[in-house]
Amino acid sequence: MQLEIRDLYKSFGEKQVLKGISFTAKDYHAFGLLGRNGAGKTTTIRIIMDVFSCDGGEVLLDGKPIDCNKIKIGYLPEERGLYPKKQIFSQLVYFAALKGMSKKEAEKSVNYWLERLEMTEYKNKKLETLSKGNQQKIQLITALAHNPQIIILDEPFSGLDPVNAMLLKDVVKEEIAKGKIVIFSSHQMNYIEEFCNEIAIITDGQIALSGDISEIKRNYRRDKLIIRSTQNTRILNNFKNCKPFEKDSIILTLASPDDKKQVMETLTEQYDIDEIKVYEPSLNDIFIEYAGDSNKEVQR
Amino acid sequence: MKQFKTILSFELANYFKDKLFIGITVFLVAVIAVVMFFPRFTVGGDDNSSTGANSNSVMLISAKDETLSKQIAESFKPVFTDYNVEAVDYDLKSIKASIKNESAECAFVFDSSDSYTYYVNNLQMTDVNTEMADEILKSISISDKLIQSGLSAEKAQEIMGTAISYEVQTLGVDQINNFFYTYIMVFALYMVIVFYGQMISNSVAMEKSSRAMELLITSAKPTSLMFGKIIAACLAGLTQLICVFGSSIIFYNLNKSYWGDNMIINSIFNMPVELFAYMLIFFILGLLIYAFMYGAIGSMVSKVEELNTAAMPVTLIFIASFLVVVFSMSSGEVDNLLMKVCSFIPFTSPMAMFTRIAMSTVPVYEIIISVIILIASVFVIGFGSAKIYKTGVMLYGTKPSFKNIIKTVFGK
Repeated sequence: MQLEIRDLYKSFGEKQVLKGISFTAKDYHAFGLLGRNGAGKTTTIRIIMDVFSCDGGEVLLDGKPIDCNKIKIGYLPEERGLYPKKQIFSQLVYFAALKGMSKKEAEKSVNYWLERLEMTEYKNKKLETLSKGNQQKIQLITALAHNPQIIILDEPFSGLDPVNAMLLKDVVKEEIAKGKIVIFSSHQMNYIEEFCNEIAIITDGQIALSGDISEIKRNYRRDKLIIRSTQNTRILNNFKNCKPFEKDSIILTLASPDDKKQVMETLTEQYDIDEIKVYEPSLNDIFIEYAGDSNKEVQR
Repeated sequence: MKQFKTILSFELANYFKDKLFIGITVFLVAVIAVVMFFPRFTVGGDDNSSTGANSNSVMLISAKDETLSKQIAESFKPVFTDYNVEAVDYDLKSIKASIKNESAECAFVFDSSDSYTYYVNNLQMTDVNTEMADEILKSISISDKLIQSGLSAEKAQEIMGTAISYEVQTLGVDQINNFFYTYIMVFALYMVIVFYGQMISNSVAMEKSSRAMELLITSAKPTSLMFGKIIAACLAGLTQLICVFGSSIIFYNLNKSYWGDNMIINSIFNMPVELFAYMLIFFILGLLIYAFMYGAIGSMVSKVEELNTAAMPVTLIFIASFLVVVFSMSSGEVDNLLMKVCSFIPFTSPMAMFTRIAMSTVPVYEIIISVIILIASVFVIGFGSAKIYKTGVMLYGTKPSFKNIIKTVFGK
């Protein structure tokens, strides 16, 4: 199973929100959909879920246009919210039934998930009486209870304590192992790096960067050097593109990656160097570079 | 369709489990029960004492001239059957005292045959004793004068006894009788539409502000969501109406004999059955039109607090049409030009046309045209509201302007 988003365009009034979004998410894998607030992630997700139609482009499942009446999608929206004054069990059953389950199936499944997420004791409580983290777990059940083939999770880890985060990680891993397509949208890059093999960064309605995370990292410009020396101040004074980095080290940006060898030689000859290495970018760095400033020239 | 049913039953359950809904219904039924059972407890089975007097209360008659007081007492007796009419000595102090200590209920103290003072402890609203006394005294005085002018006592009696018989035949509808039930029904229509209209817009706005909407619109079609909610409200309103009207009919029939000849109550419960049918038609169509509009309004606001201002135009139209109807009803001119126009405008016709049907004679073709316009408008407004709803539920913060709304409805 493979979900292919091909060349989506969407405008609201005068404002063009999506300008050709394309990516592919596969089953047994999690896909990371990244982008700053307002970049167009939610709009893309809503088009996938057929909340509104796109102006151009298509959403294909195994090469055929997706039929949201047949394929089940589970969605955890970034803006959380259920009925605060209603009993938890009845509203969870309602949402599962809305997505096509019979009442019996829905009740059975909701009971399973309440048990799985250690929430059975709150079953008959009103939602508003729960803590934020627990409400989040209840919300997660609405995304999972109807046994969807595609699961879209928008910021699933925000507000969870480490124990609950661990529980959720296990659940997500189980779902991926069941052969589901999981689309992750998050700003917590450590989770993205942990789960996702492939990512797409959306900037201003366009894909700024997409592909396999390790490949992206490998192809990232290796133009920064981390230097640890006893003469940091001297280096900082003598090199233009140099600034303090973590702990006692400094980071030096090269004019071009080709200068690496020459700069390294200069440094080791002229200064007392303890350590010098090429900086390995984190996903966070990549995100900030590609999503940070939409006016910045996009490099691949 | 399955989705629609799920939504409908969920929304209906919301109403039937809602404490406010149950509370209001129980309260209304209880109030009706108290009103309808009221005469059973106050009258205690005695059907014909409708004046304030108890059958054994004492009425004192006194005059300076003892023969006059006796004569008046005699002529009062056959009229004031509820009283023991007694002629007493002309002693104001003792008369006042006996009224104070309640050994007598009231007293007529005469200066002459055509001038008196009426003494009573507490003057009740229903006290008509002086009017009755005036009638008696007037006829005594006329008959005296007739005899003085030379007529025989028999002839005078005959002249006095001339009775005029009359009978009213209503060819159209009787406005006196139907005023009350029309008013009750128009008022019920008004209350139900305002109440459920606001319930709907509130519930939509709540879903939006609690962000449950995010999940709802990704789980179900907006049209199913909106129609499920609105039809649930209509059914709940209908149930409530049936509870209230049904219980009043049952309670009335249980206490029918105690109400005797109370004109207002009897006229309400003797209303024609076909009027119920019209009531039902105009209730459903009227509620639908306003429910759609209120639903669309609810979808446009971001917070429940903004609802009142946003709903103001619709509420104003509705209150205005209610006022037009009520003023026309009390003026007696329900067929005036304004009412005629209003009975074809979909926003006002549920109340205006219903009132005209109930209180006047409306040609059948006018009723049919009005209902057809109403049904067509329900579809048009339903369609437009669904479009507004679809866009509105996803907008936060920006309140769509009137121009944008028109664009949404008539755009592609």
